[in-house]
Amino acid sequence: MKKEYLGELEELILLMVIMLKDEAYGLAVRNALKEHANRSMAIGAVHATINRLEKKGLLKSRLGGATELRGGRSKRLLRLTNSGLQMLEKSRDLKVSLWMKIPELSLNSF
Amino acid sequence: MSNPPKLADKFLTWFCAEELLDEIQGDLHEYFHSLDKNPWKKSLLYWFHVFHFLRPFAFRKKFPAPYNNNNFMLKSHIRVSLRVLQKNRLFSFINIIGLAISMSIGILMMLFLSEVYSFDDFHAYKNEIYRVTTTRIQGSSDETSYLTTASGYMADQLKSQVHGINDIVVMRSEKVSTDLKTEKKAIEVDGFQVSATFFDIFSFKLTAGNRATALTDPNGIVLTESTAQKLFSDQDPLGQSVSLDLSSIPSTWIVTGVMEDPPINSHMQFDVLFAMGSLSSSRENTVTGSTGDPTTTGDYYVYVLLDSLTSPEVIESSMAKVIAEYNVLSDSPISHHLQPMSTFVTSETYSNLIGPSFPRQRVHVMIGLTLLILLSACFNYSNLSLARVLKRSKEVGIRKVTGANSSNVFFQFLIEAIILSLLAFIVGFGLFFFVRPKFLSIQEIALQGMDIFRLEIELVHIVYFSLFTVTLGILAGFLPALFFVKLTAKELIKDVSKTRFFPGLNLRRTMIIFQIATSISLVTASVLVYNQYRFSLSYHLGYETENIINIPVKSDYIDILKHNYAQVSEVIQVSKSSLVIGIGGDGLSGAMTRVAGMKKPNPTLIGYIDESFLDLHEFDLLAGSTFKNPLMAGGNPGYIIVNEGLLTELGLGTPFEAVGKTMELNGSQVKILGVVKDFIEIGLTKKLFKSFAFIYPNQNDQFSTLSVKFESENLLAFIEKLEKEYSAFDLAHPFEFHFYSDQIANNYRHQKLIYILVTGLSFVAISISMLGLLGMAVFNAESRTKEISIRKVLGARLASLVLLLTRNFLASVIISGLIAIPLTFYIVDRLVLNEFMYRHKIGWEIISGLFVVLILGMLIVGWQIRSVARQNPADLLKTE
Repeated sequence: MKKEYLGELEELILLMVIMLKDEAYGLAVRNALKEHANRSMAIGAVHATINRLEKKGLLKSRLGGATELRGGRSKRLLRLTNSGLQMLEKSRDLKVSLWMKIPELSLNSF
Repeated sequence: MSNPPKLADKFLTWFCAEELLDEIQGDLHEYFHSLDKNPWKKSLLYWFHVFHFLRPFAFRKKFPAPYNNNNFMLKSHIRVSLRVLQKNRLFSFINIIGLAISMSIGILMMLFLSEVYSFDDFHAYKNEIYRVTTTRIQGSSDETSYLTTASGYMADQLKSQVHGINDIVVMRSEKVSTDLKTEKKAIEVDGFQVSATFFDIFSFKLTAGNRATALTDPNGIVLTESTAQKLFSDQDPLGQSVSLDLSSIPSTWIVTGVMEDPPINSHMQFDVLFAMGSLSSSRENTVTGSTGDPTTTGDYYVYVLLDSLTSPEVIESSMAKVIAEYNVLSDSPISHHLQPMSTFVTSETYSNLIGPSFPRQRVHVMIGLTLLILLSACFNYSNLSLARVLKRSKEVGIRKVTGANSSNVFFQFLIEAIILSLLAFIVGFGLFFFVRPKFLSIQEIALQGMDIFRLEIELVHIVYFSLFTVTLGILAGFLPALFFVKLTAKELIKDVSKTRFFPGLNLRRTMIIFQIATSISLVTASVLVYNQYRFSLSYHLGYETENIINIPVKSDYIDILKHNYAQVSEVIQVSKSSLVIGIGGDGLSGAMTRVAGMKKPNPTLIGYIDESFLDLHEFDLLAGSTFKNPLMAGGNPGYIIVNEGLLTELGLGTPFEAVGKTMELNGSQVKILGVVKDFIEIGLTKKLFKSFAFIYPNQNDQFSTLSVKFESENLLAFIEKLEKEYSAFDLAHPFEFHFYSDQIANNYRHQKLIYILVTGLSFVAISISMLGLLGMAVFNAESRTKEISIRKVLGARLASLVLLLTRNFLASVIISGLIAIPLTFYIVDRLVLNEFMYRHKIGWEIISGLFVVLILGMLIVGWQIRSVARQNPADLLKTE
């Protein structure tokens, strides 16, 4: 299998795609990142990452949802694939398990 | 509502992959419209995000799948090309030789041009240096004169009134030619008087002395290395004093600097530079200290170093303002312009030139002729390849059937031509080394020993040469390549002879006519120019030039040298004069003559001679007698001898009536002693005034030449005798002598130059077109073998066969002649020989070019046909 781990931005983007449900496309993901994760990014950077994720098979897409604001151009609407979901879960589980192994470092101690 | 910037969208469309463009642009537009800012900021942000799409994932993939057998195809093309060239040896040979000859000319031309255009390249400020030129319209005659000089007044105004000039340097236009002396030695030098800023503007290298101060000392003189070497040999020249005898400049100078000799590609050449001297403090702000007369436009060369931010037009308009005041009052308006340094040697003809000049027009003509030659050679290739289509068509057809696309076929033929052109280049490069010394010797004729061109090959040129070779190959191979691309495989494999037996017949005929016309034209031109040249040399000038030697001498010992020369056994007669007549006018002076009652004085050329001059040169004395005694010192009336022209100008009647009459010469009364028949004073190209007068002065200082008439079996010994006598009086100047007839010939060196160039080119053109013709003749004879045999069997005679098969050629020659001859006549008559006052009448030689081409062509074509026609038809017909 290819690379087994997710980059931080990739993980965030995958989460945003789930969160945005049917309205997940490039610009919307970028705006969500800005709003919820306080990340300001160039649209191109987001597109590049989405492209990469799609090549890895973690995302799938279809075209649709053209609006007048877009000049009649369609959006690339994104959905997670099963492997994408698995990757997210794996990533979460890994982190949780790591946290569990170090009880003395519980958040309260800070 | 504003819209996203169109340009950004265009840019995005240009680089973005098509399949991604839709969504990306959609997102960007949506983003743009969601922004709540002023339009300017929105656009900026939009641009920002567009630029952020410059990532590999978004790029358009321009070249889909790399064509992985490119290398293989190239190798195959080259292999096939070499085979084809090898198989058709005669055709390869003809093409290579033709191209090689024309390429050697092309190489020569490229080197020539690159040297012409690299003039003055060593100046660091080449692009900022300008020369102030003068255009003056002579009010009385409406003639416009263009000068490379300007007035001191304008130089001063530029210095004090005009902004945007970094520096200004002036040089007196009058060259200082004198003997420079130390206590031990004296040598002849040429130099200029220049202002102190000379070395600030020009990048000549100083090897000793201080750049900044070398010319500020009013008595400072800067020597070139070779002059310093001659004068001081190994001593240190700095601080030494040198002297000279001239009334116009001080006599004692201190050497303040030594500079490298001016490079040969410097437009100004000199041995020494004199400081222009200090100016009185009241005129400190000026450069020349002139009196403020704007009409003395011949006084100075004025060079300015412009501010890089100032355009020359600004300065020109400033100068126009300065001069406007004067122009209002004058009927001969003056205007000044700035000429950039890059055009100093290629500009249109100016007077008061300081260096060599290659007028742009001439350079263009040379380029044009070279291109004609090159094109002619390319046509050979195209023509022969097209003619041989028949033989290649099967090959190309099979290529196409087996899957070659049009670019494959195209490149196959192009590469063939390029390989041929590369081979030709190698041969041409060798030829170039034969042509080069010829060309360099021509330069000696043109520039009288000045070496300006070296035609050395530098590394850069190799790049030019390769480009040139490939271009030529493409040019030559383009047509045949295109032809094969157009035909389909079916057409090619099917009997081609049925579809198009001779493709592009009209095109090919045009090319042949072009070639032949070029040859005819060049041959005719060279014959015409040569005839005029011969005519000029043999023209009866009105005096004798054979067996006369002219020796330049100084006036202080002229009498005693003349006396001593007269004692030499081979010498028949010796005479003194101020000039050599008929070799361009050096040493002629002018005067005004008139008779009582005339309104306008009559400009007259004056020559100073002694009692034996007219006799020695066998002038035709129509009436009166020659001089017997010199003009009395200040004594009136003096005597003069005049030509017929002067009589008609002054209305003095016939020669016999005129003798003894009195007239005015520059205000004093003189009597006419004799009248000579009109003669050529300056040369066949120039006639200034009709009137000419000889004067026998009572002092020697006008005299500069001794003419020696001799009769000698052993010339070498004779000249040695003359030299021995000479060196007893003058050690400073080496002994110089000229045969008069050589000097006359030298006066027409310009025509000789044209004649040599055109003859050379016509030889080349003829060779190329005849090679082409040979190729066509061989091909024709080959492909018409059967036809000829059948005709023979049916009873045709040799003569009728030759006629039949040369008909095409004859027609081409006649058409070419009809085009070329009138054109050549016009060009030679109006543009080349128009400077001659006395012209050789053009007669039958106008068709000489046609004649030469016809004879040569008939020989070649006839010989080929004959060799086919002489064979036994049975042998030729039995196969098949």
